[in-house]
Amino acid sequence: MRIGSYELKFERRVAVAGWEAAIISALAIIFALILFSIIFILDDINPLLAYREIFSYAFINPYGLPLTINRFIFLLLCTSAFIIPFRAGLWNIGMTGQLYIGALSAFAVLFAFGGKEFRAELAPGILIPLMLIAAAVGGAVIGAIAGFLKGKLNTNEIVVTMMLNFVAFWLVAHMIKEGGPFMNPGGRGESFELPPSVYAPLIMGIPFTLFLALGIAVLLYFMFAKTQIGYQIKAYGHSPAAARYAGISTVKIPLLVFIMGGIVAGLAGYHYFAAVPGVYKISRNYGYFGDLAFYGIICGLISLGNPLAAIPVALLFGGLSIGGRLVQGKLSMSFGVDYALLGVLMITLVAFQFFYRYKIVWVKTREEKRLDVGVYR
Amino acid sequence: MQRGLLEEIKRGETVLEARGITKRFPGVVANDHIDFEIRAGEIHAVLGENGAGKTTLMNILFGLLQPDEGEIYIGGKRVKFRSPLDAIDLGIGMVHQHRKLVPAHTVIENIVLGHPRAGKILNLRRAEEEVRELAERYGFKVDLRAKVWQLSEGEKQAVEILKTLYRGAKVLILDEPTSALTPPETKKLLASIEAMAGDELAVVPFITHKLPIVLALSDRVTVLRRGKVVACLETKHATEKDLAKKMVGREVIFRIERAKVERGKPILQVENLSALSDKGFLALKGVSFSIHEGEIFGIAGISGNGQRELAEVLAGLRKAEGGKVIFDGKDITHASILERWQLGIGYIPSERVEMGSIGDFSLVENVMMNFYFDDNFSERGILNYRKMRKLTEEIVSEYGVAAPSPDIKAKNLSGGNLQRLILARVLSRRPRLVIANLPAQGLDVGATEFVRNKLVEAKKQKAGVLLISEDLDEILSLSDWVAPIYEGEFMGIIPGEEADRESVGAMMAGLHLKGDEGHEDR
Repeated sequence: MRIGSYELKFERRVAVAGWEAAIISALAIIFALILFSIIFILDDINPLLAYREIFSYAFINPYGLPLTINRFIFLLLCTSAFIIPFRAGLWNIGMTGQLYIGALSAFAVLFAFGGKEFRAELAPGILIPLMLIAAAVGGAVIGAIAGFLKGKLNTNEIVVTMMLNFVAFWLVAHMIKEGGPFMNPGGRGESFELPPSVYAPLIMGIPFTLFLALGIAVLLYFMFAKTQIGYQIKAYGHSPAAARYAGISTVKIPLLVFIMGGIVAGLAGYHYFAAVPGVYKISRNYGYFGDLAFYGIICGLISLGNPLAAIPVALLFGGLSIGGRLVQGKLSMSFGVDYALLGVLMITLVAFQFFYRYKIVWVKTREEKRLDVGVYR
Repeated sequence: MQRGLLEEIKRGETVLEARGITKRFPGVVANDHIDFEIRAGEIHAVLGENGAGKTTLMNILFGLLQPDEGEIYIGGKRVKFRSPLDAIDLGIGMVHQHRKLVPAHTVIENIVLGHPRAGKILNLRRAEEEVRELAERYGFKVDLRAKVWQLSEGEKQAVEILKTLYRGAKVLILDEPTSALTPPETKKLLASIEAMAGDELAVVPFITHKLPIVLALSDRVTVLRRGKVVACLETKHATEKDLAKKMVGREVIFRIERAKVERGKPILQVENLSALSDKGFLALKGVSFSIHEGEIFGIAGISGNGQRELAEVLAGLRKAEGGKVIFDGKDITHASILERWQLGIGYIPSERVEMGSIGDFSLVENVMMNFYFDDNFSERGILNYRKMRKLTEEIVSEYGVAAPSPDIKAKNLSGGNLQRLILARVLSRRPRLVIANLPAQGLDVGATEFVRNKLVEAKKQKAGVLLISEDLDEILSLSDWVAPIYEGEFMGIIPGEEADRESVGAMMAGLHLKGDEGHEDR
């Protein structure tokens, strides 16, 4: 593009610094919000007002904020579960199935200790750790299937994890619906309720899983930046052939990353069904939370596989999905506004990643350059 | 668009001219006011070391890059390429070093792919006739109905050249045309190039090494060094020594004296080793040899005769189908890759980009490939990046890797510099055994000399070196033992001083001349 004697050019960036990436992302968010205001304007709603509603409900309002935080914990765990295999160049599309199995395993522990009985008095000091371990192991086992098949037989991990989602979905249905062992005594197509004695401890109204999720993100960051195993995962992710040459096992790495991803996703299952106040059961609409896990993929891609960058991204997505749902009802807009908002945000963030690789520069063109006889189409 | 600028061009007239081409990349001036001119019907070689700016210049002439300064004229008219499409439309064709074909498609399908006349309905029969005519005219022998994956490197290249010619190229740029070819294929290609030049086409091969080819083939030669044209002369006035000097900027010694090192105890003993190729047939058919401390064991042969399989079995990357490998008296036939690194085997693969390095990793992380498991560089699973960075800085300067910082990505290194880095990384482990597969292939004169010197240095430090090469001169000048390989078997094992070009060359082609009786006794 040319304006006067200046020319607009895209110039390749050699590398993008962390703060540059942050600025680009912030600009992308602002741009997305401006873009989405068209929807509000079409509905005769002042976009500024709408955004004030969204943000104040999601991040300030005493009712909205806990919802945001719970969703954020869930999203962050799902994002981490996606990022671990992602750094090994593998795609975990199976957080949904892993979190279902994680939740089922946690409930299986309760079931074994007689937690199905109404308001059973159980020892939280033993049972909560056991439930966490069970959730982690459950997620790991189903994750390991994809990792093992990838490492040993080079089976496409996307297909395997995706299909295991269906297996897990129906397994949950089998367990909690009428006739299933985890059935709620009242029917209703949901699982028995968690006895209040083993509700996850709250810290200022927030489940302790918040610290678990943040801790895992920090740990993962450290793992990828500093450790042997992180190095091996990254090497495999960039080039399995080169990794193998360097003595890194191309069987163990896929298995390992899917076990690790499965553990984290399993914990997300524990969090949503056993730690979020007001849920405390595998609810009838568990499929909704399973679908929500797919936002982990989006958050993981936007944060470019950086576990720390995933924190603000997951928080934003969690908040906007809560706030979006509120304005949809409050301003009586049509159904799906919250999803549309997330969608626009997602596309803009991805589109803005262009600027990770290119920057715009203005170049002063010399006069004679414009006298070219040459070839223009 | 102004097509047909080159329609009426006659032999000897200037088809393409570049004036004052300058291209800067962050930190380097890749092309510094380059003037360059090609005439119809000439073979105009462009010589230069890796990183001299050849690739940049060629990419500019082909429209892949836009120059910061300078002008390009075609048939005397100033042009500006916005993309390779503009260049192609004006009759400029380019064949890349890395093949850009669809392996699952047939040759003819690849050739018509993207051709403007192909349109929506393919008329393969007509295209086939036209392409066959072209192929016959220039002596390319390719089965047009064969699938591309079935072809040899030389045939694939022929397909790329045909594709370019079929698009109507009048100027044909060839990037390292002979680097992946076997000697007979090279010979055929050179004949075809001459045939094309006879037809008023301008052919521009870009070459980093193989000066004899330049001398035999080209009419004129332009030499680049550090982004500048240092010479442009008629080939008949040039000599090999002179061109090498211009390219490197100093005298180059073509022959390396075989270093005299006392033979130590055996490091590697290989007994009747065999292995399968990727496609599942027996590629290595029972070879036996041993390598002692302080000697270079050279395997001479044309690629594809089981050398890669042998190297990979020894490095642990490929399973042995039969036989035994003994390293320092220990049977390692089934040892893992990592164990072998730890025992002191260092492998320099011929696949530098695909296997020997990770393009998106920094130089430090690339060096880490051979040290992440080393206790000196990690503590309880945590890597010591600071120490690694220091080592990287040291070896980068010792091995002359041209890089502004150890934090740049490996993919930004030129081919020669990448090989220096790989060599540096492997040799700095001070391995007992170095396996070097085509270590100097595709490198420029200076880097080749460097690599060879480093292998000799390793030998002097009492390492055993297994050198696999297609370059007979390299094998003969460096090796203490020469084993010509043909279809997975050694045709003999000859002491280096007794090996001569003719007999080794004949053995590489499958003739059994001498036994290997002497090898074990000495």
